[in-house]
Amino acid sequence: MTLKILDPMVAADEATDVTVAKRVGDLDGKVLGLLHNGKVNGDRLLDLVREQLAARYRLRDVVVVHKPSASRVADPDVLDRLARECDAVVTAIGD
Amino acid sequence: MARAAEVDVAGWAEAVEAYFERGWTDGLPVVPATPESIRPFLAAIGREPGDIVLTEATRRRSISAEKIAINAVMAGCRPEYMPVLLAALEAMADPAFTLHGAITSTGGSATLVVVNGPIRQRLGFNAGGNVFGPGWRANATLGRAIRLITLNCLGAQPGLLDRSTQGHPGKYSYCIAELEEANPWEPLHVTRGLSRETSAVTVFAAEGPHNVLSHYGETAEAVVVALADAMAGLGSFSPGESFIVLAPEHVQILARDGWNKPRLREALYARARRTRADLKRGGKLAGAVEPEDETRWEHRGRGPEDIHLVVAGGGAGGHSAFIPSWSRDRNSLSVTRPIRDPHQRSQTP
Repeated sequence: MTLKILDPMVAADEATDVTVAKRVGDLDGKVLGLLHNGKVNGDRLLDLVREQLAARYRLRDVVVVHKPSASRVADPDVLDRLARECDAVVTAIGD
Repeated sequence: MARAAEVDVAGWAEAVEAYFERGWTDGLPVVPATPESIRPFLAAIGREPGDIVLTEATRRRSISAEKIAINAVMAGCRPEYMPVLLAALEAMADPAFTLHGAITSTGGSATLVVVNGPIRQRLGFNAGGNVFGPGWRANATLGRAIRLITLNCLGAQPGLLDRSTQGHPGKYSYCIAELEEANPWEPLHVTRGLSRETSAVTVFAAEGPHNVLSHYGETAEAVVVALADAMAGLGSFSPGESFIVLAPEHVQILARDGWNKPRLREALYARARRTRADLKRGGKLAGAVEPEDETRWEHRGRGPEDIHLVVAGGGAGGHSAFIPSWSRDRNSLSVTRPIRDPHQRSQTP
């Protein structure tokens, strides 16, 4: 007796509407965003990143945002603000 | 929505092995799901196979009624459990639950499901002796269906997207019902705003149950001391929510001594606390212990409303349970949803 069994798996939906942001080249005169994901020490890691990049480039400004919880995705408002105000954003998890 | 792919196998035993070979099980054998066997499961919720019943935005998963039915069959459910399963999944999809984090984190939580209301008896959910243990199909398979859906439909497979450091045995199945008949106060779903006649599920991203044995005091004070002490243990200490599953014997002592639900929640909140010095010594807070840390207190939860009380267990024995949250604060909160109970609807004029 043959049997037909059913596949129980669900794959991720295809991402739609994805376009890669324009590359910034270097960071001279640019606004750098730093998004701390909320895990312990992520902010310290980003401080080091900021130090290194500031030594290498003449940054126009730095925008620092802290996500309140590592488990939750960033609020759309936060992402919109980073997109609006920054030329490049670095995010980091700590722990 | 495309229908589920079919795989031809030589027979029942081969089908069981085929599920293992493809990595589609929780490590135990499953009941093979066939196009015929899922039909009554879809009928039980009045859904078409392609209807999307659950979406998870972070993982970009759209889960159809057919996939839910397939996993329910595999878990060993009966078709009439489907409304309970659907309500539990809807609750898990509430943004407050933070589904993608809860099923992924090193913290290794499982989804505790608490069933309330008239549907408990009709479907044979156990709320009595051995309530967290084996022996009842409804509890065992409903909890297992949640796990199989978490594995197969949400991608939370061990080592891939489930990065639990240790996990716990509740990740196989973690479903209880409340013994409302032994609760001198209101049951969980009523405290959470539903009517007593409504059937409901509550989901909680939870650690395993911690036993709270208190046999010899036989007073409310003794029960409260033991419960609060378990809640204040450093291992699981956080401002997250707590579930307390009170043994019938303990709740009888509390009620006899004049305690009610609000008073118990307040007392547990007040007593389940540690100094910041303790939390630092135990590696729960960063930094060196400062003199003022010895007298600064942190509580389990943000307030009495973070402590949820359920009554369940056998008639004999002073064993209650403390179930801590996976979430260390507000990342994930318990969620209650009514069950669309077809039996009740048919009684409504």
